[in-house]
Amino acid sequence: MRDSRHARLILGLLLTAALVMLTVDHRTGEDSPMRQLRAAGAWAFGTTEQVGGAVTRSVGGFVHGVITAPRAREDIARLKKDNAELRARLAANKLDETRSTELKRLLGLAGLGGYKVVTANVIARRGEPGFEDAVELDAGTDDGVRADMTVLNGDGLIGRVVHASSRTSTVVLLSDPASAAGARLEGGQEIGVVHGVGENGRLLRFRLLDSTAPMTRGGRLVSFGSHHGAPYVPGVPIGVIERVEPTPGALTRIAYAKPFADLTALDVVGVVVRGPARDPRDAVLPRREGAR
Amino acid sequence: MTGIVVIVAAVLAQVMLVNQLPLPAGGAPDLVLLAVVGVALLRGPVAGAVIGFCTGLLVDIVPPTAHLAGLYAFVFALVGYVAGRGAGGRVATVVLCVLLAPLLAAAVGGLLTDPRVTVATLTEQVPVTIVYTLVLAPVVIWLTTRVRQQQPRYTI
Repeated sequence: MRDSRHARLILGLLLTAALVMLTVDHRTGEDSPMRQLRAAGAWAFGTTEQVGGAVTRSVGGFVHGVITAPRAREDIARLKKDNAELRARLAANKLDETRSTELKRLLGLAGLGGYKVVTANVIARRGEPGFEDAVELDAGTDDGVRADMTVLNGDGLIGRVVHASSRTSTVVLLSDPASAAGARLEGGQEIGVVHGVGENGRLLRFRLLDSTAPMTRGGRLVSFGSHHGAPYVPGVPIGVIERVEPTPGALTRIAYAKPFADLTALDVVGVVVRGPARDPRDAVLPRREGAR
Repeated sequence: MTGIVVIVAAVLAQVMLVNQLPLPAGGAPDLVLLAVVGVALLRGPVAGAVIGFCTGLLVDIVPPTAHLAGLYAFVFALVGYVAGRGAGGRVATVVLCVLLAPLLAAAVGGLLTDPRVTVATLTEQVPVTIVYTLVLAPVVIWLTTRVRQQQPRYTI
């Protein structure tokens, strides 16, 4: 191989540079010099993502329709109708209509809990390359968004803001394995912690702190709220328990819950810029099926 | 020049489009990796390592990010070098790089005690990514073969 020593020298230098950068970022944490670099990246690419967002959203909507179609295979007629409807909707450029209903539901939820929200669209998502589950929103400090604010949509809790630049902000989703949110079982005082387990947000792990408290399938979780409502405000619906792990003798109990919000297909979300004056308790949860 | 455009386009397409698609099994192909491998295959080890490093740095700062800066600069510099140097045939090189990148990223993340890197990441998330990326790999192999045949007229 020609120039092999030269090539190896350059590779060595580059790898060392990367390791130095990693170490500096890891050790300095919050006041890392890499923050400046990230802020510059957020400014330059956040703007691009914002401009491109309108185009990719409609393409994403179309592909989403096509990909989720096989799930409805049992009902071919319905599938065809749905597909036709979707295509027609795209052709007629009526995508905005769905977004406006989503927005209406979001505002309904926000009104129920007394949250003051700033609405935003998801413009980019991380997952690959990287192991984090994070999205970029098209609202930033100019709209009142700050780090450590709660993000929700019409169905429930989504995650929290980790960085905010002037026009965009980065949100770490509930499904991110590094995220942890306090949660409370509906209709009681039993509290625990919700962790993401990856899997693209299909399941969340709930660790109930009191191992003797009753917990069953179908139990619903709401956010417990943090000190001064940062990063999580209280009372936001999180999910429904799907199965409880048998952990006899353990200090805490583990259950897996399905989140109310579909974390795989996010579009319109709201950032809670001011929490409610008092905890809405279970008032924001959707009405139970069959109950009046 | 074309290489830079291809890579920037791949990074933006990845975060704006590909990662937002709810694909079955909950993963997505890594277009950025394929772009780095493709450009490095045509440009050799030195340029491959430099392009890989710069791409990695770009990946580390393009929002949304919540990992440590420098992780992907490290991973892609090594991948670019390996792809540029070649390991056996072109197909073998691409497959090796596609396998190498996520495992290396997981290894570095693990060394830095990233809570996101667990056994479940290695058994569930990484294989899905590798499979999706390998599905798209023939496109890169075909494109690089084509460009190399036309090398006198087009330079990447």
